[in-house]
Amino acid sequence: MVGGIATEFVSVKERGENMAISYDVVVVGAGNAGLTAAAVTAKTGLKTLLLERHNIPGGSASSFRRGRFEFEPSLHEMAGYGSAENPGDVRNIFAELGVGVELLPVKDAFRAVITGPDGYDLVMPTGIGNFVRMLEQEVPGSAESVTNFFKLAGDVGMALGYLGKGKPDPQILQTEHLNFMKVASQPVSVVLNALNMPKKAQHILLTYWAYMGTPISEFAFALYSIMVHRYVDMKAYIPKMRSHEISLGLEKCIRDNGGEVWFNTEVVEFLIRDGRCYGVRTKDGLEIHARQVISNVIPHRVFGNMVDKAAIPVQELKRANARSVKFSAFCVYLGLSKSPEELGIKDYSVFISSTPDSDEQRRRMRTLDKNDFTIMNCLNIDNPGCSPDGTSILWATQLYETEAWEGVTPENYKATKNRLAKKAIEQYETAVGVKISDCIEEISIATPATFARYLDTPDGAIYAYHASGWDAMLPRIMTMRDEQWVQGLLFCGGHGTRTIGYSSTYINGYQTGQMAVLDLKGGH
Amino acid sequence: MANEVNLNLDPRTFMNIIPERRAAIEAAPDTPLPTDFPLNRLMRAFHPEHQHLVIEAVETHDGDAKSYTLVPDRENGTDSLAYFSAGQYVSVLLEIGGSKLYKPYSIRSSPADAQRRRYILTVKRSEGGFASPYILDTWKKGRRVTITGPEGNFTYEPLRDAKHIVGLAGGSGITPFYSLARAITDGTEDCDLTLLYGSRMADGILLKDEFDAVCAECGSVKVIHILSDESRSGFEHGFITAELIKKYAPAGDFSLFVCGPQAMYDFVDREINKLELPPRRVRHELFGQIGNPERYPGYPPDHVGKTFTLTVHIRAEQRQFSCSASESLLVALERAGIAALSRCRSGECGFCHSRLISGEVYIPPDKDKRREADEKYGYIHPCMSFPVSDVALELSMK
Repeated sequence: MVGGIATEFVSVKERGENMAISYDVVVVGAGNAGLTAAAVTAKTGLKTLLLERHNIPGGSASSFRRGRFEFEPSLHEMAGYGSAENPGDVRNIFAELGVGVELLPVKDAFRAVITGPDGYDLVMPTGIGNFVRMLEQEVPGSAESVTNFFKLAGDVGMALGYLGKGKPDPQILQTEHLNFMKVASQPVSVVLNALNMPKKAQHILLTYWAYMGTPISEFAFALYSIMVHRYVDMKAYIPKMRSHEISLGLEKCIRDNGGEVWFNTEVVEFLIRDGRCYGVRTKDGLEIHARQVISNVIPHRVFGNMVDKAAIPVQELKRANARSVKFSAFCVYLGLSKSPEELGIKDYSVFISSTPDSDEQRRRMRTLDKNDFTIMNCLNIDNPGCSPDGTSILWATQLYETEAWEGVTPENYKATKNRLAKKAIEQYETAVGVKISDCIEEISIATPATFARYLDTPDGAIYAYHASGWDAMLPRIMTMRDEQWVQGLLFCGGHGTRTIGYSSTYINGYQTGQMAVLDLKGGH
Repeated sequence: MANEVNLNLDPRTFMNIIPERRAAIEAAPDTPLPTDFPLNRLMRAFHPEHQHLVIEAVETHDGDAKSYTLVPDRENGTDSLAYFSAGQYVSVLLEIGGSKLYKPYSIRSSPADAQRRRYILTVKRSEGGFASPYILDTWKKGRRVTITGPEGNFTYEPLRDAKHIVGLAGGSGITPFYSLARAITDGTEDCDLTLLYGSRMADGILLKDEFDAVCAECGSVKVIHILSDESRSGFEHGFITAELIKKYAPAGDFSLFVCGPQAMYDFVDREINKLELPPRRVRHELFGQIGNPERYPGYPPDHVGKTFTLTVHIRAEQRQFSCSASESLLVALERAGIAALSRCRSGECGFCHSRLISGEVYIPPDKDKRREADEKYGYIHPCMSFPVSDVALELSMK
């Protein structure tokens, strides 16, 4: 029998400082990227430890139960997964790591209901040909520009493949990837105007922007175009057992390959000496050393709360101060006592707003009461077994800038969230003509404060740093190594190179894990 | 394929983005980053990890129960109390003999009281119980106690529930309803409450005077007392039956909220079924810890009274001890002095979520509230899992 168990009653501090344990790789945070990075390092045989402050993995990639319903907290649609015949990056990564999860395709792209004066209500299909045809039907004369949009998205994909091979040759970029050079860092709206795309077709094509939180006048074309291309060409996918299934699947890969995962273990300090991170310290006083530390924790938290002030490189402070982190979500999870058929619901996702203009939608997200951009998902449409017969799961999402919540106090918090939830439900009922408020069996409401509880990000941010202009995906990728100001410390997650979203963070975690492997095994 | 689309855009914008990035970073200040944020503070007002409190007053009730008024223990770092909704509970951290455990109690006082920096917990002695005798016998004025933040979903939700709540309460199950009644009288909640409250005798009804005061103050709260062991005028006699519920429930829409001991649920649920209410109109508070799993369907025969070996992996360490078939794995861990994390002790909240490395457990089917993928990946809630073989468990500790 072994004693000295770490509990809330018996602090590990009693063991003394000289009891530090060591690993090749310590990953802090079991979000999508942290899980994937740890799975990669464990699989290559590096002694890996993943630390997570919560009792389950995944961060937002999780699930929760109320009554006879199990809700998906955050994953609307995963891009880049693809079918078995035509696999995308994420399916390939999961296959390589041996993640045995079952994902289901989402049939349609989306339904957009714009209720204002220039309104429209249409269901957009998947498949590029279908998509272009439907748009041409709705906006005659749009077909050529929309076709060219998808061609450019393909060019971007090819150029990214080339850039991924190492330091690019400017000559080859100029000759082989000229269009990529022209469009990659431009805001989406600039490129669409250059393609002479009619305004209404732009609005419809841009419906997805809310998944990324950056309006189209700022969103760099490179990432937006490949995202839309993937959704339309490869369809989106959702896990059968909510995203908790993916998180547990990744956790299993870590364990199957000899890695360890410690839950309920909060890291309070990243240990940095002479510009090198050599380990972490846990809340219960355990010092864990590592040759490589990977942080799934946002740099704002790491350098704001978790590093000795004297050890923080000035450049890290400047970069963090130059960035903005201010976007979170409001979600209403509904378990309904009627089936989708009884209710007349046919669409998996409906995007509803009174204006089609993404800049205006974004401006309204700075206030609680003017924001009327709501995404409503019905999980049962593409995951029919997700709730008992005769019931359905609906789930409304709105994005907010955190400044919108400034006036919310503990005293008015519950009333505020109920007021906003009621408004979102009524908006959906009016926009699509489906009555849901009389069959709510379970309701749960998540606000930015809820995300702050489960993610511990600044103001409950779900999208890390605002990814536009100089801090979009491409500039992050191209400066990744130059900006590693603390040796032995890599960052992964939404604050990483690929920016935010499920597929981005899985891919970024995979690449970060590979970088760690390269650094530790590559002859350094 | 590439370059087929003609665009009048400048390719140099791509090359300029890196110098732009360097300039933006260089121009930013190197001031320290904020260490806290408004919405993280808002969150902590509801969900502190722990609250350190002092017992300010103890009140003794008829029926072998006491109320403890708890106020912040500033010396231990708690300055204010977490906000909550009427019907929520806190888990009290207890060390009894060699056992360390979290025991949930509904907050009996109103949410507005929390803003005035006090909670009241009312604890009734349960026969053969473990935590309640300890609390009643040892908690005195001035004692320091540690509790969790508020948890639980036994709350009135205006978007979901009927405006009129019919409460069915038995024994200590009365406490969340007192909080709700107070929240109605002070305007925190906007609903009506008709409470059918089962006790044995008229003397010794827990919180009777307190409820009489609430009803006198506010027409939205009505209480009907039902005595099982005594016939007396002004009281209903017997148990809470479908007929009684029909007699006192409003004519229109209402939601049934039920809170009491398991024996009451066993009886009352059959009565509720007769009313043929839609599932969304019937809500139960957590039923709490159970023992003797053989009473539940599907329990493998011949396991009653057996003892097994439980191996616990905590980080790189292992411990072994014996566990009884009749007790949950959580109780076995607590008996061994391991402060396993738990909250609801009813299989529902998932706080004790742990990985079953090997062995088999029995989980009462209607009390299996795990997430779907947990079963696929071998995760269990030890508070509602009973060993039916030797078991190895990986435990996450804090």
